[in-house]
Amino acid sequence: AAGLCPYRALLARRGGALRALCGSVRGLAAGPETHFGFQTVTEAERREKIYHVFESVAKKYDVMNDSMTLGIHRVWKDILLHKMNPSPGTLLLDVAGGTGDIAFRFINYVRSARERQLQRKLKHHQNLSWQEISESYQEDKFKSLGDSQVVVCDINKEMLKVGKQKAQHLGYSEGLSWVLGNAEELPFDDDKFDVYTIAFGIRNVTRIDLALQEAYRVLKPGGRFLCLEFSHVSNPLLSRLYDLYSFQVIPVLGEVIAGDWKSYQYLVESIRRFPPQEELKAMIEDAGFFKVDYQNLNSGIVAIHSGFKL
Amino acid sequence: SGSGLGSGRPQPLEPSLLRFLVCPLSKRPLRYEEATNELINEELGIAYPIIDGIPNMIPEAARTTRKKPPAEGSKQP
Repeated sequence: AAGLCPYRALLARRGGALRALCGSVRGLAAGPETHFGFQTVTEAERREKIYHVFESVAKKYDVMNDSMTLGIHRVWKDILLHKMNPSPGTLLLDVAGGTGDIAFRFINYVRSARERQLQRKLKHHQNLSWQEISESYQEDKFKSLGDSQVVVCDINKEMLKVGKQKAQHLGYSEGLSWVLGNAEELPFDDDKFDVYTIAFGIRNVTRIDLALQEAYRVLKPGGRFLCLEFSHVSNPLLSRLYDLYSFQVIPVLGEVIAGDWKSYQYLVESIRRFPPQEELKAMIEDAGFFKVDYQNLNSGIVAIHSGFKL
Repeated sequence: SGSGLGSGRPQPLEPSLLRFLVCPLSKRPLRYEEATNELINEELGIAYPIIDGIPNMIPEAARTTRKKPPAEGSKQP
């Protein structure tokens, strides 16, 4: 059965008639087949299992990220923001944003950009008349975020709870909101957001094609899709070292730090299951995005995929 | 379903969210009902709860507003 897993998973992704065939073989009630790590499960089972993984890890999520990646995940997320290069006034939808890492970085980024903007303005306006100066106090010109906003959407209550607590703790409130929602069925109107991000989340979505279609729908024309996710390492030596680290060290860390071997076993397996760079690129193009491209970080351990709604 | 944490004052919804939020099923606008702290889709007759200021926009979590037998009790996702 294990040997058939990749085949079944492939069928599940192709969808349509093949999906129905798979379903009828297993029994219609069970639904289409997909994977949970290296196991074969129904879509419904997968969603439930993944929900429980994140419910379980939520409180230790950040600590585990730091331990497993030796803090490097922070750099990956910084690079994502740098690539996004948001200007003040940007509307960001961060999906699977759980504990807020991307949202907080976004707020910091636009805040700095806004400060620089205001400083430049002041430099150029040294010769304002008193009239102009008094007018500027009345206008709400000095909003620190300049109308930028980020909506964090996640399917998991526990992750959002942790995120909200973090925000309170770190003093983030303006321009930030939280929504419990499903990436495959977003509760947002069409053509609303300038940027859509999904960082280390798309791997856990059961129907990636639906999530990509929804991403396309909610973005404004000209809007950008950015996905930061674990990907495939082509270098054979590095790949072996990575495998060793993933399968020998990470679940142990999971047990020691979070008391949860199984969730981290899932994590490691799900990375191996996830489509490699070119395949994900094709899926993003299928959803209607243009100028789709990807950038490997750390030789493909992680990749940032980008696309535009034109 | 109630979280039962006993938070007396329901946290209000972030007002700016109403610009973006729609029903995930029909993608149609919602009405904010202050009395019950819910977002109502009149057409489909469903209400999404707001818990601790966070709107729960998962269809399985919504309740029907019409006087029908409730939708099959699918567990919280």
